[in-house]
Amino acid sequence: MWAWTVQRGRVIVAIFCLLAPVNYVTAQEELAYETIQPSHIRLGESATLRVTSLSGELKNVTLPAVSGLSFEEIGRSQGLEFVGGTSLPSSSILIRVTPQMAGIFSIPGLTPKSQPVVLDVVNADDVSALGAPKRAVTPTPPLVTTAPLPKGVELKAGGAAFVHLVIPRHEVYVGESVPVDIEVGVRPGIVTSLNGLPTLNGGEFTLNNLSRQPERRDKVIDGNPFLVMTWHSVLAAVKPGDFSLSVDTPLTVKINSRSAEDMAFAAWLGGPFLQSMYNGIAPKEVTITSPSTELKVLALPMEGRPKDFSGAVGDFQVSSDISPARAAAGDPLTLRLRVSGAGNFDRVDPSMFDHLDHWKTYPAKSSFTPGDAVGYKGEKVFEQPLIAAQSGEQSIPGLELSYFNPNTRRYERAHTPPIKVTIATSLADSSLSAPVEAQSPNGAAASRFAQGLRPDHPSPQISTSELRPLYFQVPFLAAEATLALILAGSWFAVRPNPARATSKRAARTLAQLDEAARGGDSSSFFDVARNALLQAFAARWNVSPDQITSAELRSRLGTVGEDVERLFALADEAKYSDHQPGSTDFRRWLNLIRGQLLGEGK
Amino acid sequence: MRALKVAMVLVGLALCGGLALAQAQALHSSPPKYSADGLYNLANSYARAGKPGLAVLNYERAALLAPDDADINANLEYVRASAHVAVEPRGRLARIALAVNPACAAWAGVAGIILAGLGMLAKRIGRRFQWARVVSVLIGAALIALAVSNAMLMWPRMHEAVVLINQTPARVSPVPMGDTAFELPEAETVTITAAHEDFALIRTRSGRTGWVSRANLGAVVPQTRG
Repeated sequence: MWAWTVQRGRVIVAIFCLLAPVNYVTAQEELAYETIQPSHIRLGESATLRVTSLSGELKNVTLPAVSGLSFEEIGRSQGLEFVGGTSLPSSSILIRVTPQMAGIFSIPGLTPKSQPVVLDVVNADDVSALGAPKRAVTPTPPLVTTAPLPKGVELKAGGAAFVHLVIPRHEVYVGESVPVDIEVGVRPGIVTSLNGLPTLNGGEFTLNNLSRQPERRDKVIDGNPFLVMTWHSVLAAVKPGDFSLSVDTPLTVKINSRSAEDMAFAAWLGGPFLQSMYNGIAPKEVTITSPSTELKVLALPMEGRPKDFSGAVGDFQVSSDISPARAAAGDPLTLRLRVSGAGNFDRVDPSMFDHLDHWKTYPAKSSFTPGDAVGYKGEKVFEQPLIAAQSGEQSIPGLELSYFNPNTRRYERAHTPPIKVTIATSLADSSLSAPVEAQSPNGAAASRFAQGLRPDHPSPQISTSELRPLYFQVPFLAAEATLALILAGSWFAVRPNPARATSKRAARTLAQLDEAARGGDSSSFFDVARNALLQAFAARWNVSPDQITSAELRSRLGTVGEDVERLFALADEAKYSDHQPGSTDFRRWLNLIRGQLLGEGK
Repeated sequence: MRALKVAMVLVGLALCGGLALAQAQALHSSPPKYSADGLYNLANSYARAGKPGLAVLNYERAALLAPDDADINANLEYVRASAHVAVEPRGRLARIALAVNPACAAWAGVAGIILAGLGMLAKRIGRRFQWARVVSVLIGAALIALAVSNAMLMWPRMHEAVVLINQTPARVSPVPMGDTAFELPEAETVTITAAHEDFALIRTRSGRTGWVSRANLGAVVPQTRG
């Protein structure tokens, strides 16, 4: 009877327990989460990102954009999920995630409430990567070492994880790069995902990009298996002082949310089914922090600081070269300064040449080749193009780099020796000197060009100092312009002059009159005289010769007009009679006519 | 008549002065060093040495002094064809105008100016010998046209250059580290359109432009003597 009562009581309690989580779940807000399986893959493989909603049908989600990852929706599913022992309808979207490169990727949440997930991608040939889904056909067990927890480090998140900042030195200089390691240990199965990369606390330091791919080791710590991931980076202080540093790492951990009494009661219920419905384990996001590490940052000394010190702190070596070592004037050459060693290469900035005699200089550009995963060691190459302005043996002075060496605690200066370079005459300048055919290296090309050539000409007789045609030479153009100007000026200068023509005509008429007078030909004398005077008066007064009357002659010429009128009468008389004037008369009339024809009269 | 005589004297003086000036400049600048035959022989030696760029450059220079020389033109075409460099054919008018030696064309221009000027001047002075005046003006105008057309066709060649190095990079900017837009074959003739420090902006016959180091180019007409 007692046993029956106990059994019945257990059933009633179980029913109450089954109903209780329903109220708990329905009181929650919209519940959605994301998982990615597997979270560690090799390059060339794909992972499946599952977005699950427990509060109704999941609508379309926008695929995220993550550099180096491609996303493709491959399907949807619906079902029931047991949460805290309660079955809830779930809706999921399956997305295939395919990486294009190795690294650790943080995929942002696709729903407002979901958190980002981390996908770790390793190279296909990376045999050291853990969690490789496709190993050899005969898998070898991973090498697991047993190690204690690092000194001063405590397990966090219920003993599921720890984080440790490893700094090799505790006294550094401002600007000095210090390599640091960040170790994060997690218990697989309990820590479901890393929700982001470790971050440094404190704004007085800069932490360079963490190495894309952490080193992984399996360790057994305190009897529990741990996956220990180690990131490498470089720390630099921006100001002097005493500081304490720590690192935060976000995780998702499966945590049992039930109290010990509840768990004891679940055990008391008995039966795996009832226990699984009442175990109370749920994922929870936590951020674990590393123990603080003290760091003393010293200021760079002012004593002995070179003027050209650019802030480089480290241990550097320099070398230089130029290529090509032989060139022609005008050819670009490349002067290289190689700075190698360890330190803050971003502050390594040697002054290349701003000016060099007989050289044309151009701004230098630099490139850095890291020698390790974080760029603490490596080689920085500065390339400066130079163009030789003159031929001959040239010497390029050495280059210098000033830096502070934290090992010796003083400023140092690295030198390169001067560089000799031979500059030949440029091809364009040597185009007028005959080639040395015997030294021609390209014999095949030479024969190809020589086969169809017409023969040489005899020795030249005529030569000139200028290839530019005469009409493009300034002196010749000036002479031509002067010539044209003179001709144009002459053309204007010798413009026909009516007065000059009249005078010539008058001279001819006077010569005829003189000849007639000497011959005593009065008829011809007076006839020629009358015609010449009429023409002259008509031209002078702008009237027709027929319109010139005796009255007009008297009015225009006055007393002279009467003489002219008398001359016209004598002309008629001589024409129709044999009147012969004397030599004195001819002279008088000649003077009168000359005076009128040559413009002495009005 | 006296004005004509004065004009003739002035013309003569101007001619003599211009020639004397040109001659003096030529003598004072540098000793004579260019001759068509010398450049042709030099180009032949470069061609035999397997340097088509320098060969084409000197053929081009020889052709400037003797454009009607058949040997120069034949070898120039041959070397270009052997170097696989395309040649742009010239039009008939250009061939006629460029068949005249530029020096002869220049003096023909001077003669044209004198003939045309005197013909017009004579018409101004008197009316005798009208046919002679007309003929003088016409011949003068024809000579001037010949000289001008020759100069116009020759002008682009004043800015031409020959690529001396094979696969010469033509860059997008006039700096040694500028990106390469395309490469030029040796012996290609290009036109220089601008210059910046040690680089020249060139245009190829196909119309592409880029900045080329001047050290890799040989100007057909050197800009500076010496």
